[in-house]
Amino acid sequence: MNGPGLTGDRGGLAAGGPLPPDVDLDRVWLGVATQVWRRPPGRVERLAGRLLRSPGLARALVTTPSLLLGWIIATVVMLAAGAVATRASGTPWVALAAPALAAAGIAYAYGPGMDPAWELCCSMAVSDRMVLLVRALAVFAFNALLGVAASAVSGAAAALTFGWLIPMTAMCGLALATATVTRSANAGVAAGLGGWLITVLAGKSADGQTITAITDSALVLPYLAIAACGTAIAYYVTRIPRGTA
Amino acid sequence: MNIETAGLARRFGSTQAVAGVDLATGPGVFGLLGPNGAGKTTLLRMMATVIPPSSGSLRLLGRDPGRYGPRREIRRRLGYLPQNLGYYPSFTVAEFIEYFALLKEMPSARVPGAVAAAVEQVGLGERARTKLRTLSGGMLRRVGIAQAIVNDPELLLLDEPTAGLDPEQRVSFRAMLRDLGQRATVVVSTHLVEDVGAACTEVALMHQGKIVFRGTPAELTARGVDGGAGDAPLERGYTAVLAEARS
Repeated sequence: MNGPGLTGDRGGLAAGGPLPPDVDLDRVWLGVATQVWRRPPGRVERLAGRLLRSPGLARALVTTPSLLLGWIIATVVMLAAGAVATRASGTPWVALAAPALAAAGIAYAYGPGMDPAWELCCSMAVSDRMVLLVRALAVFAFNALLGVAASAVSGAAAALTFGWLIPMTAMCGLALATATVTRSANAGVAAGLGGWLITVLAGKSADGQTITAITDSALVLPYLAIAACGTAIAYYVTRIPRGTA
Repeated sequence: MNIETAGLARRFGSTQAVAGVDLATGPGVFGLLGPNGAGKTTLLRMMATVIPPSSGSLRLLGRDPGRYGPRREIRRRLGYLPQNLGYYPSFTVAEFIEYFALLKEMPSARVPGAVAAAVEQVGLGERARTKLRTLSGGMLRRVGIAQAIVNDPELLLLDEPTAGLDPEQRVSFRAMLRDLGQRATVVVSTHLVEDVGAACTEVALMHQGKIVFRGTPAELTARGVDGGAGDAPLERGYTAVLAEARS
């Protein structure tokens, strides 16, 4: 790529003094710039690159909006507050908050509604569906780990420590499907939060207990069905469109 | 031929955006002209494999973009600058270009050198480590051009590439296009006929989803000899052909 560019040459660099005629300043400068501008991948990105066998996917993963430092701090603060509130009040706030937090993270993981360069991303060799899959899995795993840790710290019963994982899967599926279909991360968040709120309130109105949405075994199958449907919808919506040849 | 289309069409609901385009072109700079809504951007988006055609056939770089494997191979060799390119405000110029180089599956070892070369080629060397949110519209457009050329593409699709560039940058950009056209197929969609006259070896004029003229810039200019409105000869050719197509 040594053709004409949008600026002139770098002859000015030679102004400091005469140079041997065989020195190609442009080439020297490019070598310097390559070293100065390069952004060496961090430890997480290197590991992800090895696991995924794709440096592009690894970079896409470490740039997930809902896995950036600010989001991570916000999630940790919310769950820590939930753990403290659980210990103080006895109400399982961590179990109630975790599905909603994960759903918001999934909705903001990837998609046309939140990626300003979506059109360009759709023309890339690393497919947008693959990026979505990797990011969604990473966000889910991260939220599940944090939630389990917060539940354990809060001293909740074992059934509650893990009971919210299935509802969380369902809310993530719902948020993912909504965000993908509507092409709006905010719509995905609204669906996830709204869905979880309705489920919790419905459980409470049925038997007066806030934790029914987490502990009622009759809800396991509907949760799994919602998760499966949500994933299937997202998979269908992000299918590779068939062209004609 | 790097681009081969036959009866290529695309419909959005009741709107026929592209209505049967037959095209075959190899290396060189190919200009796509036409009024707003003529179908230029839709045609370019199909060539960029962003949207599939509704009907007709499309082959890019000798491959069928309708199948996963060939499409991925095409995308590795493709450069695309959309009309509305979004940017990640917190990325630096170099990070943005590097991100898309990686998504194009360039070999990792080649990426830093290619990014530096692309940044230099668009004249943003002094801004390589500047956050995108601080750049002007013209500079952002140059970042977009840089990501499109970073993989030294065999097929380069540029939608309104000179929007926001100042006259000096446009002159340099045309020289760059001519250079790229020596070894790649460059398709430039633009409203600016002077860009076409200066940089393109071939030009097509679209109207209502169809190509109504195809030839060299000189041939388009010749169509304006007997009439057509415009300040420059090529503009007169453009308006004459369009007037004929509308009549």
